[in-house]
Amino acid sequence: MDKQLKAQVVFHLTGRHADGESRAVEVAGLRPALMAAYRNLESLRHDFPVIFTGASDEYVRSLTATVDTALRAVAPPGVAGEALRRRALRVEREICRRVAAGERGTLAELWDGAVQAVAPPGDAAFLKDAGKVRANFAADGEVAGCNAALPARFLRHAWTAVQKEKARVARERIDSLVIRLGDILRADYARSAAALTQPALQASFGAAHRGMFDFDAMSRLLSHSPPRGGLGERRRRRVEESLAVLRAQRFFPRAGEAAGSGTHEFEFENAGDALAAFRARLPELSRLLKALQAADLEVQGSYVEDLHDPIFAAFDERSVTAQDLEFFPDYLVCLEPGATGASGTLADALSSGVPLKVLVHADDLLEESMLGKGQFAFGSRATQLASAAMSFGDVFVLQSAASNLLQMRERVQRGLHHAGPALFSIFAAPDGGAVPGYLQAAAAMQSRAFPAFTYDPGAGADLASRFSLENNPQPERDWPVEGLEYADPDLQTVTEEVAFTFADFAVCDARCAGHFDPAPRAVWGEGMITAQEWMANPAHDPAAGVPYVLAVDEADLLCRLVVDERLMRAALRCREAWHRLQELGGIHDSRAERMLARERAAWEEAHRHVAATAQDAPAAASGPATAAPMAAAVPPPVVEAEPARNPDEPYIETVRCSTCNECTQINPRMFAYNDNKQAYIADLKAGTYRQLVEAAESCQVSVIHPGKPWDPGEPGLDELVERAKPFM
Amino acid sequence: MNAAVETMDSRTTAKQVATLSEAVIEIMSDSGEGAQKCGQSFGSIAARMGNGVWTVEIIPAEIQPPARSVAGASGNRIRIGSKRITNGGDEADLAVAFNEQVLLGRVNAGELKPGCIILLESMWAASADPKIAAQYKETLDRLHAEGYRVHEVPMEEECRKLVSDPRKGKNMFVLGMLCNLYSLDMDLARDQIAFIFGKKAEKIIKSNVALLEAGHTWAEQNLDFGFRVPAVRATEPQLVINGNTAVALGVLASGMDICAMYPITPATSASHYLSDVFERAGGLVHQAEDEIAACAFAIGASYSGKVAVTITSGPGYSLKQEAIGLAVMAEIPLVVVNVQRGGPSTGQPTKSEQSDLLTVMFGSHGDAPKVVIAASTIEDCFHSIITARRIAETFNMVVVVLSDASLATAQQPFPRPEFNEDWLAPPIDQNPVPEGAKPYDWDPVTGLSRRFVPGQPGGMHTLTGLAHDRSSRVAYDPEINEQGMHARSLKLATLQKMLTPPTVFGDEQGDLLVVGWGSTKGAIEESVERMRAEGHKVSSLHLSFLQPMAPGIKEILHRFKQVITIEANWSDLPEDPLIDESNRRYSALAMLLRARYLVDVDCWSEVRGRPIKPGSICAVLRKRLAREEQRQ
Amino acid sequence: MSTASERLHHLFEDKRALEDYQAGLPRWCKGCGDNAILAALQRLCRDEGLRPEKTVFVSGIGCSSRLPHYMRTYGFHGIHGRALPIAEGIKLARPDLHVFVNTGDGDCCSIGAAHWIHAIRYNMNLTVLLHDNHIYGLTKKQASPTSPLGTKSNTTPRGSYLDAMSPLTVTLGIQNASFVAQAVDWIPESLFQIVTAAFRHRGLSFVRILQRCPEFVGGMFEPWVHDPQRMLMLTHENGLKVSPALQKIYRNQIVHDPADINRAREIASSEDPIPVGILYHNPAIPCYEDLRRAGMLRTTDTIRASFEAELDKFTVWP
Repeated sequence: MDKQLKAQVVFHLTGRHADGESRAVEVAGLRPALMAAYRNLESLRHDFPVIFTGASDEYVRSLTATVDTALRAVAPPGVAGEALRRRALRVEREICRRVAAGERGTLAELWDGAVQAVAPPGDAAFLKDAGKVRANFAADGEVAGCNAALPARFLRHAWTAVQKEKARVARERIDSLVIRLGDILRADYARSAAALTQPALQASFGAAHRGMFDFDAMSRLLSHSPPRGGLGERRRRRVEESLAVLRAQRFFPRAGEAAGSGTHEFEFENAGDALAAFRARLPELSRLLKALQAADLEVQGSYVEDLHDPIFAAFDERSVTAQDLEFFPDYLVCLEPGATGASGTLADALSSGVPLKVLVHADDLLEESMLGKGQFAFGSRATQLASAAMSFGDVFVLQSAASNLLQMRERVQRGLHHAGPALFSIFAAPDGGAVPGYLQAAAAMQSRAFPAFTYDPGAGADLASRFSLENNPQPERDWPVEGLEYADPDLQTVTEEVAFTFADFAVCDARCAGHFDPAPRAVWGEGMITAQEWMANPAHDPAAGVPYVLAVDEADLLCRLVVDERLMRAALRCREAWHRLQELGGIHDSRAERMLARERAAWEEAHRHVAATAQDAPAAASGPATAAPMAAAVPPPVVEAEPARNPDEPYIETVRCSTCNECTQINPRMFAYNDNKQAYIADLKAGTYRQLVEAAESCQVSVIHPGKPWDPGEPGLDELVERAKPFM
Repeated sequence: MNAAVETMDSRTTAKQVATLSEAVIEIMSDSGEGAQKCGQSFGSIAARMGNGVWTVEIIPAEIQPPARSVAGASGNRIRIGSKRITNGGDEADLAVAFNEQVLLGRVNAGELKPGCIILLESMWAASADPKIAAQYKETLDRLHAEGYRVHEVPMEEECRKLVSDPRKGKNMFVLGMLCNLYSLDMDLARDQIAFIFGKKAEKIIKSNVALLEAGHTWAEQNLDFGFRVPAVRATEPQLVINGNTAVALGVLASGMDICAMYPITPATSASHYLSDVFERAGGLVHQAEDEIAACAFAIGASYSGKVAVTITSGPGYSLKQEAIGLAVMAEIPLVVVNVQRGGPSTGQPTKSEQSDLLTVMFGSHGDAPKVVIAASTIEDCFHSIITARRIAETFNMVVVVLSDASLATAQQPFPRPEFNEDWLAPPIDQNPVPEGAKPYDWDPVTGLSRRFVPGQPGGMHTLTGLAHDRSSRVAYDPEINEQGMHARSLKLATLQKMLTPPTVFGDEQGDLLVVGWGSTKGAIEESVERMRAEGHKVSSLHLSFLQPMAPGIKEILHRFKQVITIEANWSDLPEDPLIDESNRRYSALAMLLRARYLVDVDCWSEVRGRPIKPGSICAVLRKRLAREEQRQ
Repeated sequence: MSTASERLHHLFEDKRALEDYQAGLPRWCKGCGDNAILAALQRLCRDEGLRPEKTVFVSGIGCSSRLPHYMRTYGFHGIHGRALPIAEGIKLARPDLHVFVNTGDGDCCSIGAAHWIHAIRYNMNLTVLLHDNHIYGLTKKQASPTSPLGTKSNTTPRGSYLDAMSPLTVTLGIQNASFVAQAVDWIPESLFQIVTAAFRHRGLSFVRILQRCPEFVGGMFEPWVHDPQRMLMLTHENGLKVSPALQKIYRNQIVHDPADINRAREIASSEDPIPVGILYHNPAIPCYEDLRRAGMLRTTDTIRASFEAELDKFTVWP
């Protein structure tokens, strides 16, 4: 074993250099080789920055998409629009630069600022074009880059949008109930003695006409037959109670009134406080719920005292269901990195079924900073918490790197709409690192250090429909692999397949610099193997090779970094976690794969159907009926088994009876009507054969069949039998 | 009238400014030339200065009558005064005409006072069409001959100095002239222009103000006379609207939900306005396929919800009568507004007549008791609807509100009403009906019963237009038929007991009592004032409730030597050779008073399609009084 | 798991029996087809669980129009020819009510024809049942607009002079027709199916029911009553379905898609055989009450606000 290799082995095993000097500073300047391409991020158009719009449907959109849509509207295709496009993109680039530099503001503000900065002096055309584009932005709102502040901003914005919509729906319902309950009371008042008093009557006429009436006489005469009945005392009390509760509720702001003023707050520092608030408000909530339900019944006149009184008497906190809670605002808790001590209560809160929406923001996946402090913090534990939360059953779980949030926006919304708790575990690196936040976040996801997944209990019964690993690159692999192109010493272009592992990700994080030992090309040797190869070999024995990852320096000069064992162990743990997720996602599990295939098919089928009907809808609006409503509209005929008729037996084809009363008038005991008011032979012995034959003859639709006489003693049978023949 | 003459040295020309207690001005043009707008603006400005104002529209029967036609006059009559003005007054003191032909129409109709000042567009004299020039000269000569004080005004020429199309905007020039002649406040005039063109561009307002000022200057420099009608600024806000708008606002203020109508003149403008504003307040105007449907629709709406209203005029009312009978029989509350016009048949759609009193009282077959109220002023149009809704609701009766074409189109300022939520119809009662209650539990004394509305548990019954018993079952039995008739009739008596005796205008007793109803109130009371000023013992009585009639009327009638009704409907002329006591057809109200109170009530009426003038009434009253003296 | 209110409302749905919708003994003649229509409607109310106090049967004048008296719901027995405008007024004022209209061939197609045409145009959510017996019954036998040419009656003793009008072709020719069907009183199963479909349609459903009048034109429909082959059953998955029991009797069937209006118009003009089923159905046509946003909740404040706003327009301030 040569000297170089020895040094490398020693470093690998101890994480220290023989000379005791640290190379951390040197390493800190490096970045993973695969990231060389992204050195100048601002010039690359990607998901970020994003705009938080006011729209509830598309509550967040990327800047690039917004600019492109505007350009499609204003810039003619081809060369004609080229100048305009180029100018717009200049401005866009400037905005990206400013956002990356930490500038804040709405799109409009940033756009104007950027235009000022980049427009060539006195270039009116430039300003005009920029104005055109600006005028065509589909939406405006705060602009956010992919930095440490993003997770909280993103979730808070999405949550607010959802709560706004909830409040609107709730207000509509409450307002209409308040009006209609009020009407019940006012209608009753109009009938009351109070409304017939002299002053009340006088008030109801226009001043100019009051002279024409003698209101005492009016009051006397109208009271002559005092109105009876109306609202019972009990019902009045019920209505007034509901009304009072609806008017006093503090869960939703009054129309036009800003949140906060008098109404409850729903965002909290930590899960414990949120949980406490929820529990403290539960009685108030169940009172409102009770009032809403009682009011619904009252306004529809469906309140049945002996039926509903006991139910409402027993109605309390325990009567509240998750579906009921959907109507109410959700609680928001944003836990920033290093939020301490909360984990216990958080687990409680999440398992409690309370509609709690929790953000856990992780920014340190190796917890280098926390080592030896023995203090609980999130981090790789964040991933553990997310996985654990899935076992609580009713919790919606979403894990994603900040860089991936825009892709996840629908699912974030689904999580916020989920009736029950939701956990959003999001990684965003601390600001100020050598590598831009977006790349660090993307790397965390790429390297499986922080994979993206969602667990949506509402999406279906089984794992395959609830759990999704979407958006992870090459999910079937341990580590995603990309081609790396570089020039060798003889300046020959070499392309090498390079895996992006947890160790590679660690390179981006200056706090981990100590785990690497830079090895310039001069000291590369046989004894070095890639981190991936090292992990592939179960022995993990340095003798088999010292693991390294590829990195580049500022000048994009390629070098290898020997990785110490501690970091490699972390990488192995990370791979195991990933394997578990793959299992959940049904990857590399034949049974799961089969199940998934089935579920996918069904799922896609279902969605094709939805899409299909969605396309028909407008057609239906203009053209002929769609099958759906009508099919339901026609009741299927009552199919009853046709008894094998013995021609000697008298019978009536009841379904054909047209209720003409002929037979029932001949003998109401012999012939009777069934529930559908159609005739049948109720009691043969109640009449004579003659009556039966006469009934058959007079039956409008000839559905009476007399059969054979049963009493041979009856007079004139022969003649009757003759007459009965046509009805056999 | 005698005018105190003064000279104002402040003016450039030595202008004689006479102070008047009132003045009647007419402005007329071919339709589309904006005389209407000019007149209304003039009225509004005067009203804001605190003058009493009454404006009457001069409406041609056709939408676009041929230009320069005698029958085509379109415009406004404005009467302004120092005191409150209650009617259109007598012949005009001053007339402005955009051409001599439209003027002729008014001259022939005797609408202008002898020696009336006329401001006449002079452009026609130099018309390229020799025929027109000739017509103009001929008319001019005639007017001079008849002693009118004609001033030719080059309106078009003056306006062309400011605008390209003088035909538009001429009216603002005229407004300027009139502001000068009647010493109206020009700032208020400018505000008024800003108000009417409010929705339009600043530019349009500017050019109209320019025209206004041009007119003012022209009159200042070229007319050596002027007037001032002293005004007392109103202390409270005033509403300036016409009778139909007042009706529509009444519907809004009464809390009714639905108005069903079918287009008919002169009622429709009420529905036009309502259609514009009602939906914003959650109400609905339904234009039905015909008058019958409109009434049936309103009945259906009333039956299942709040009292509904249908608005129409004579011919439409005739068509509604069968349905109205249903509402009476089934005791469904309903408000019917009849804006009367000349009849029978199509009659005079745009002209006024008190034509339908007997129809609405006795119309529909069988005994169909209804409440009939007549609105006598514009303010009254508003309150009558609120009262009608209230009575309909309380008595489950049809209430007919009578207005007419002259109220419908006249404008008069009155104190802005204070909104009162007690006016509003109560919400639809959906409470269960009390055990054992019947849909027609007629109270033996008042005849009142409580109606059941669909949705009320336990109230299920089938309402019917057939004679029915207390449970609304069809009744073939004579007893029950009488019971129903009895109860429905009793309700009128009950209402009558809630009314107070009407107040006499003037002394409680005297030689002659003038009785009237509806839109003639202002003219009658003004003539009574004049007669009393001349020392005659004349008073008047104006009835709002015509069915039932208020208590105490008989006593009042007996306190006067003579009683006469003044009405705008037909009555035979006693002087006709064939007419005598035994065959004379009396005016509607006269007939009713004679029948009910056994008093020898005389009548005088006019069916000229225009508001009756106080002057004409005074003339009649003088004759009647003289005749009485001869008898003694 | 549903919300508590859903569960509570579910609790309220109490079942009613046919008897709960019956009121009084029908005063129609023995063998009158109106009995079958009444039975079908009472069955409809029961099976659809209609609350009697929320249901209104509106009628004009004639034998048909007595029907409301025999329903224990709200009813409005109006005047000749005006059932439709009355029903429209009810529906616009109270969209929450179920409104049915029972009218006859004289009531609807003659004196009320104008309202009929416009009712189709309004397309309000009403269930209109035309009891068509081809004759004036209550006024004792005069020819009606639907009396076949040559019908002998008191006003046409030598037979009626004019060809009968077809309520179906007329209705199908009017803008906004959204549901047109034909039933006969002597096939109760189909009658019930059709009126149910009509009730469930949102919009004006027009059902012409051929109805026998044994008193004045007895035998007029006998050929069809006694020869099922002269009945044409219009079957379709979105239309009429014939039960096995009837399959055996009414074998003359064609498949007709209610979406096809042109075919519907052809079928409508067939008098023999008599088509039975849903001729046309288009649920996409808007209802007048929806276009007018009827049933909007009004508060004192909204009324006050708009009132004051209006006065402001006309106020001259001192």
